[in-house]
Amino acid sequence: MALNPRYVLRETGQNLWRNVLSSAAAIITIGVSLWLFGGFFLFNYAVDNATARWEGGIEFVVWMQPDATAEQDANIRDSIDTSPAIREWVYVDQNQTYQEFREIFADTPELIEVVSPEVLPPSYRVVPTNPDPDVVAELSGQFVGRPGVEEVVSADQTIRDIQRLADKVTRVFLVGSVILLTAATLLILTNIVSAIRSRGAEIEIMKVVGATNWFIRVPFMLEGLVQAVLGAMGAWVGLRILDDTVIKGLSEPDSLQLMQGFRVDQGEFYSTSLLVLVIAIVVSGIGSAVAVTRYLDV
Amino acid sequence: MIRLNHVTKVYKGTVVAVRDVTVDIAKGEFVFLVGPSGSGKSTFIRLLNREELPQHGTIYVAGKDIGTLGAWRVPFLRRNIGFIFQDFKLLPKKTVAENVAFALEVIGKPRHVVRKQVPAIVELVGLTEKMGNFPHELSGGEQQRVSVARAFVNRPPILLADEPTGNLDPQTSVGIMKLLDRINRTGTTVVMATHDRSIVDTMRRRVIELDRGEVVRDQARGVYE
Repeated sequence: MALNPRYVLRETGQNLWRNVLSSAAAIITIGVSLWLFGGFFLFNYAVDNATARWEGGIEFVVWMQPDATAEQDANIRDSIDTSPAIREWVYVDQNQTYQEFREIFADTPELIEVVSPEVLPPSYRVVPTNPDPDVVAELSGQFVGRPGVEEVVSADQTIRDIQRLADKVTRVFLVGSVILLTAATLLILTNIVSAIRSRGAEIEIMKVVGATNWFIRVPFMLEGLVQAVLGAMGAWVGLRILDDTVIKGLSEPDSLQLMQGFRVDQGEFYSTSLLVLVIAIVVSGIGSAVAVTRYLDV
Repeated sequence: MIRLNHVTKVYKGTVVAVRDVTVDIAKGEFVFLVGPSGSGKSTFIRLLNREELPQHGTIYVAGKDIGTLGAWRVPFLRRNIGFIFQDFKLLPKKTVAENVAFALEVIGKPRHVVRKQVPAIVELVGLTEKMGNFPHELSGGEQQRVSVARAFVNRPPILLADEPTGNLDPQTSVGIMKLLDRINRTGTTVVMATHDRSIVDTMRRRVIELDRGEVVRDQARGVYE
């Protein structure tokens, strides 16, 4: 038997309105928990992006001054090339650096417009033979302050700083979101049970006149779904704000060196949004399924 | 139309509500179930509606063994059986028309069918003037008429009534019985549990008397006792 959409929507709306305060509580709890859950993913993406330049065993980067002379560059290159402590190295010229810059700041075209390859520093990305932090620190220190060198950034220190920050943030986000998602599931369940109990007489009549089990159950399940989707929409707005203010703010050009590249691209943002919606549907599905199978005798 | 074959229903393993009952009810019959409280009348009716399942025996409704029906098919059985409660069970926040329409909406009838059938059945029970009234604005007899309209709006071939006049005064009860008699004359089978001696004695229809779950009398054109 086909469900009558008008009837189902009317009943769902009435259920939500009858429990408007607890419905609001469920929506807010779902929204906050999904925001934390999504935030966990956004921070992980941002950390991955920030540490991407350190992939492949690169332990430190020697940033050259954009206007370093060919002789200064040759000296540094010679030192790197002949050092037995260095297993391999990659030279990233100004054009390649510019490409990286464009990727990092793809969301801020106004910044890309004012930067040209000539103002960006080329760099040597170095893979030492021994990745021991003390050895890397001693080796990278040999390049600090040499003519033509702008800055030497050690992966060891950078990654540890980012990871320490990210670990704390994501742990809080993940634990908080799991606790709140559990609470949200229970709130949805409680709301539906409350709606079932307040409509006991109607349900009895529905059973007697021959309404199918699903016809009786669907409005209650839809109630949970509506709460979850509204919560997911709130979480989406929160994630947009998190990305636009906190994450983009941390990765601005004048921020700390270790936060350069700390960003989330559009694809990552929308995959996280989709995941948040799926989790919302799963949470409402669990709450609704338990409510209608354990508390709705049809 | 209805056949109970050696049906026994026991509650909690010891309380025998219906014991080895064998009864045939033909299409279009009007049957009174009589007997003292606890004799098994309500259980008899609940068995026909598949609200209860017997421990022993078989029950056929319209040729189908309802004991073997899958759970998902029970609602479709119930669409062929109207049910009238002693306490009406009207939904207080719905009007007369909405209470009747509810029985059609929840089985998925389209709006144009609801719009056509509800006024017709409300007219049949004599409440056209009160279509927009809420249950608390009606007398007991009028509320029971709404309950009858809701049970019959889908034109089921069987109507079950569990003491439908139990909460009504004698004069109002007569009005409800005239209504049920009129419905019965359309070919609808009516099975009614009652304690009302005067109604049974006046109408002189088939009487099945139960005592401690057993059929002790089955009499055509019978009286209360």
